[in-house]
Amino acid sequence: MRTGHFKENPGQLVALSDSRVVWTWFAGMLCVMVLAPFLIGNYGLTLVVSSLIAIIGAVALNMLTGQTGLISLGQAGFLAVGAYSNALLLTDYHWPVWLTLPASGLIAALISLLVGIPSLRLKGLYLAITTLAFSFIISHVILYAEGVTHGPNGVFVKGATIFGYDVQKGVPLYYLVLGLTVATILAALNISRTRIGRAWMAIRDHDIAARVMGIDLVRYKLLAFAISSFFVGIAGALMSLQLRFVNVDVFALILSIEALAIIILGGLGSIAGAVLGAIFLSFLPETLRLFFSMFADEKSALFTDYVYEIRGAAYGVVIVLFLRFKPEGLIGVWKDARKYWSNWPLAY
Amino acid sequence: MRTSIITCAAALLLSTVAYAAEPGVTDTEIKVGDVNIMTGPAAFVGKGFALGSKIAAAEINAAGGINGRKLTVITEDDGYIPARSFQALTKLIEVDGIFALNGTSGTANVLAMMPLITEHNLPTVVTEAPAKLVYTPVRPSVFTFGANYEDAFYAQLKYIHDNMEGKDAVYGILRQDDDFGKDVEAGFNRAVKEFGGKAAVRVAFKKGTTNFSAEMAQMKQAGVTVLANGGIFAGAANILAEARKLDMKIQSAGVWSEGIPASAALSAPAGYDFMVADYVSLVGPANDKFKVLAKKFVTDDELSNISRYTYVAYIGLKTLAEGMRQCGKELTRTCTIEKLRGLKNFETGGLSAPISFDNPLQLSGTAVGVYQFDTKANAFKALSEFKQY
Repeated sequence: MRTGHFKENPGQLVALSDSRVVWTWFAGMLCVMVLAPFLIGNYGLTLVVSSLIAIIGAVALNMLTGQTGLISLGQAGFLAVGAYSNALLLTDYHWPVWLTLPASGLIAALISLLVGIPSLRLKGLYLAITTLAFSFIISHVILYAEGVTHGPNGVFVKGATIFGYDVQKGVPLYYLVLGLTVATILAALNISRTRIGRAWMAIRDHDIAARVMGIDLVRYKLLAFAISSFFVGIAGALMSLQLRFVNVDVFALILSIEALAIIILGGLGSIAGAVLGAIFLSFLPETLRLFFSMFADEKSALFTDYVYEIRGAAYGVVIVLFLRFKPEGLIGVWKDARKYWSNWPLAY
Repeated sequence: MRTSIITCAAALLLSTVAYAAEPGVTDTEIKVGDVNIMTGPAAFVGKGFALGSKIAAAEINAAGGINGRKLTVITEDDGYIPARSFQALTKLIEVDGIFALNGTSGTANVLAMMPLITEHNLPTVVTEAPAKLVYTPVRPSVFTFGANYEDAFYAQLKYIHDNMEGKDAVYGILRQDDDFGKDVEAGFNRAVKEFGGKAAVRVAFKKGTTNFSAEMAQMKQAGVTVLANGGIFAGAANILAEARKLDMKIQSAGVWSEGIPASAALSAPAGYDFMVADYVSLVGPANDKFKVLAKKFVTDDELSNISRYTYVAYIGLKTLAEGMRQCGKELTRTCTIEKLRGLKNFETGGLSAPISFDNPLQLSGTAVGVYQFDTKANAFKALSEFKQY
């Protein structure tokens, strides 16, 4: 029988979950995900792959912003670094994809240290602007270092195979992305339970107090940047595999804004929230499209002339209403629902 | 008898299977996809384009369709974001099952869709972003209609050199720091080199820049009299507004996106009779005839959205339809591509130069005409016929 928060040994304290029900649900969900290619069509699979990549990016940003309290608007830049590293190493240097993927993460992590150093003295909006400036520098470098990056022409990504399978499309891409998503989530969950994770949270809550407690701010802030950017770099590399083409326009500022929106909508600081937020925002446009095609009369002038504006406005309205009535994010909804069913029929 | 029935049934089944394998085509319908910018600041591009597709499809269907099949255009929004273009085309191919593609959004967007286009051997006519990157290297199923920015700028600067400013002109260029900007500068370089003119200022700026005060002060300081204005939409208007603030006397050559009513309205207050070069006609009898045709199929509200993007969409779909028509009843992607590749002097009713894809690049419509905006009349006037540069 579960005893709420009561733990009997240190092992239970650091376990990802002590509930058999949770592990059963997790295993069941994983089974569904493994079987997904046989249950949904190619378009559905494309959407799922996009949302899984968004999950990796969101979980990574959550480490930096949600757990350490360092606001970043440079995600598009780190994504671009990862995507370009992967594309160039694959296409121009003919590295195997199993090597280009971690290399993309490592390159993004190393470059993030350059941004991380000024961040040691900056917080809040000042840091956000610094990271935003980093994004601009990255796109500048891509455009002007033509000899290496192909400049504004972009790069067509090809030659990504693992065991003879083309991992740039269809089921092989899906399994690759699924595997890396699960690995990222598990890594994030485990890091948050280590000394590093707890140090990040201490820095987020009060950096001076954290310092007084003996936490090396330089080390842990740089670690937050490096580890987060490593995973964002991998997300960028996966994006380049899925799109099969990269250029600077692919990594517009809107991506950084969307990444922040995902973790805020999901519930800042929560890994599960980042996952829910990524799923929610990835599928919201498609859900709205289906909704409008089901209920709107396609012959009406209003629908035919303004359908895209209506859908765009609905997208914004859903987000605004959500934040207004559920400021704790999707994870709050999830917790409420769990509490309701746990206490049913005595729910209050 | 029994053998004959079985043979007939097998043949019928085989033919059905073979035909059913061709996506987007039924006995009564052909589906054509359009990925476009329907939301965001550049939505008027997509709206104008969608209107052209609608008019072309309505006209074709009113005349009995393509060999008896009705043409249906399905539009998907990409918001001008390449990753969304990829997703939109995936949806059009996998869910809607389109046969061919007409609308392809911007350059980066069509490049992001290119792997899908080639993988599915999708007959595609690119009319919105006729950049060199789209037709080099040549992709078998991709046909490009339109001139490049290099020719468009060269044409305008040549007109200015021959008819307005002469040898003493001082040239300046403001262009985006991307592939599009590089094309603009290529036209500028070609003109300056050929005319032996003085290129006093060259400035590259980031897409989305809105303040050009420093750049224009630099132009004024250098005595620039001919400006290659590589800004688009509000950017181009802001550049001219800065020039007016500084009371500069310039001839301005611009991008064809400035030839649409919404852009012209933004630039007009600066009071410059600026120029654009385009591979579709902006004014003239062909345009008047098109508007009469459009009235039959669209609302008055939609008529006000007609722009150069409407003309390019119309031409693109009519061209694609011609390729399909030539295939007869047995319509396949391979056949359509083959027929498009053989297309020669296809008339567009004067909206552009005739279209021929029978060349190694599968590229047509490269002739451009030069137009000037008359601020007093609030309208464009044609300065030259379509010409190859």
